[in-house]
Amino acid sequence: MVKKGARKITLSIGDGANDVSMIQAAHVGIGISGMEGMQAVMASDFAIAQFRYLADLLLVHGRWSYLRICKVVIYFFYKNLTFTLTQFWFTFQTGFSGQRFYDDWFQSLYNVIFTALPVIIVGLFDKDVSSSLSKKYPELYMEGIKNVFFKWKVVAIWAFFSVYQSLIFFYFVSTTNLRKIFGLWDVSTMAFTCVVITVNLRLLMICNSITRWHYISVGGSILAWFIFIFIYSGISTPYDRQENIYFVIYVLMSTFYFYIMLLLVPAAALFCDFVYQGVQRWFFPYDYQIIQEMHRDEVDNTGRAQLLEVGNQLTPAEARSYAISQLPRELSKHTGFAFDSPGYESFFAAQLGVYAPPKAWDVARRASMRSKPKIGHKK
Amino acid sequence: MATSTAGSSDPSTTRRQSKKPKYSKFTQQELPACKPILTPRAVISAFLIVTIVFVPIGVASLIASHDVVEIIDRYDAECIPSNVTDKVAYIQTPGEKPCKRELHVEKRMKSPIYVYYQLDNFYQNHRRYVKSRNDDQLRDSGKANSVSGCEPEDDANGMPIVPCGLIAWSLFNDTYSFSRNSNNLTVNKKGISWKSDREHKFGSDVFPKNFQNGSIIGGGHLDVNIPLSEQEDLIVWMRTAALPTFRKLYGKIEVDLEKGDVIQVNLGNNYNTYSFSGKKKLVLSTTSWLGGKNDFLGIAYLTVGGLSFFLVLAFTIIYLIKPRQLGDPSYLSWNRNPGGH
Repeated sequence: MVKKGARKITLSIGDGANDVSMIQAAHVGIGISGMEGMQAVMASDFAIAQFRYLADLLLVHGRWSYLRICKVVIYFFYKNLTFTLTQFWFTFQTGFSGQRFYDDWFQSLYNVIFTALPVIIVGLFDKDVSSSLSKKYPELYMEGIKNVFFKWKVVAIWAFFSVYQSLIFFYFVSTTNLRKIFGLWDVSTMAFTCVVITVNLRLLMICNSITRWHYISVGGSILAWFIFIFIYSGISTPYDRQENIYFVIYVLMSTFYFYIMLLLVPAAALFCDFVYQGVQRWFFPYDYQIIQEMHRDEVDNTGRAQLLEVGNQLTPAEARSYAISQLPRELSKHTGFAFDSPGYESFFAAQLGVYAPPKAWDVARRASMRSKPKIGHKK
Repeated sequence: MATSTAGSSDPSTTRRQSKKPKYSKFTQQELPACKPILTPRAVISAFLIVTIVFVPIGVASLIASHDVVEIIDRYDAECIPSNVTDKVAYIQTPGEKPCKRELHVEKRMKSPIYVYYQLDNFYQNHRRYVKSRNDDQLRDSGKANSVSGCEPEDDANGMPIVPCGLIAWSLFNDTYSFSRNSNNLTVNKKGISWKSDREHKFGSDVFPKNFQNGSIIGGGHLDVNIPLSEQEDLIVWMRTAALPTFRKLYGKIEVDLEKGDVIQVNLGNNYNTYSFSGKKKLVLSTTSWLGGKNDFLGIAYLTVGGLSFFLVLAFTIIYLIKPRQLGDPSYLSWNRNPGGH
């Protein structure tokens, strides 16, 4: 009803076999693996071990996941758009004959080697705020609900900067006037070098948290490009086609022009992006940016320890019942009890001949239920 | 009390019961990270650094470019005798078509002075043109017969053409000779091509064969006694240009030219650019550490540097007038409009 009528994204959570249909019907189904068995888990999209992990799943990991997916997708479109548009401006200069600007190998390896790894690293590790802050400010979740990071406006701005950057790449690089005569493949190698360096640096600009893997992957991609072009320019095979990249990079690197261009072009290309980011952050900040600033001086203590260490939060009585539940047993685990219900421990304890005292809250609950009609509870 | 901490005293039971995956900072996403925040101070400093680096480089580039002296002379229209109406027919008539031009040196030019020819509206980057060559043949005398890709200039009268293809066929063949006050200025035509081309791409045992023997002559002829690795005009021409307006090196003059000199140019106007309204220009240019005359680099650097300086001022002023406190919770969207969602 909520799904079809109110047209919202629905999430359902359950742990038993009777929850399976609910889990399947919702957009996001979460199963809790535990004493009720694994049916809910097998039917679900996500499985967690305890109900309290739901907060983390939504507010921390779900939110990060949304942020990361937006960044990865938009960056992917941006880098390919930039690369392709640089070629596009070239077609106007070739009499529209369709001559390629870049060498075949450059084009093929662009997405595979020279720009692939950094975006994967961002997709894995990018965090806008730490996990404890994500739970402290659950209002940050609204960013996902309102689709703040992937609106058409955001995409249009990235596309606009992509067009601007491609114009810079093509026109700055093609105004050469040198002692050594440069041909088509020399200009295109220069342009390609600038493109690879710029898109990798642009990735660093959109990261909220930069780990050493970011540095390794960005530096590695740029290094991979140079290693590739050194090797490719150094060999001349019998299979050379029209592209004559032989010795191009060595000649390029022997000119001052190469280094001057390498300093100017990425800086000019990223200039507008930097201005935009500065202005956006200053005058129109997102909520997560404010929170980043509020907590900028705090050490990022992780919430992981609190999650996985069950012993941290249990009272002695609870610890004892947990210990009882860990006792080895050869009997069936499928009792139909939700874990942590009183019947759970006394059932197993009774099977092993151990006395498990009733919990205070359970006694109180049953006492209060005597006056109510029995609704088919288990004991 | 059995718990599931790693390294407890009862490893066998905990390992059996605990399904906790091995902890690693990578998989738990707890890698130490630097979290850069673009504070106003960082923005202003970044732009200040850009200004400090770019403006001097821009000034240096512009100075270098202004030191370069360049003489450009367009001669294709002027070198047709005035009584000729059909330019294309004129240029296609065999024989010498000499033309005399005069160049005035405005500023002292220090040697080496590079002599270029510049062509406008000539699409060396056309797709059919760029692929019309065969590198095997150029490099290896044993592969003289491999002419694939060179159509339609692959063979003539049944014999393969060396070097084949449209690029070689359209070789530029205007000639220039210079004299000053009736003294000849020698033009050094050695070393004008890339060394790697001479040594590796064009074989020293490959000789032109059957070249420009077809019915349509596209450009210059080649001396059959000189191997390709020494035919530097051909090598320079075959490095196809990126844009339709391009310059190629013709040679070097290795004496200084003084201010006020008048250089007489005897040029042979052989190359047909008239059928496609191309332009031909003769360029004499000195060079600097940056290359030829290229104001663009200096201007680009100064523009970026100037814009960053302007932004430094703008941001500083805005920061002083209307500062936003870093980490001010009142900017959170739920604090700004509490009922607004």
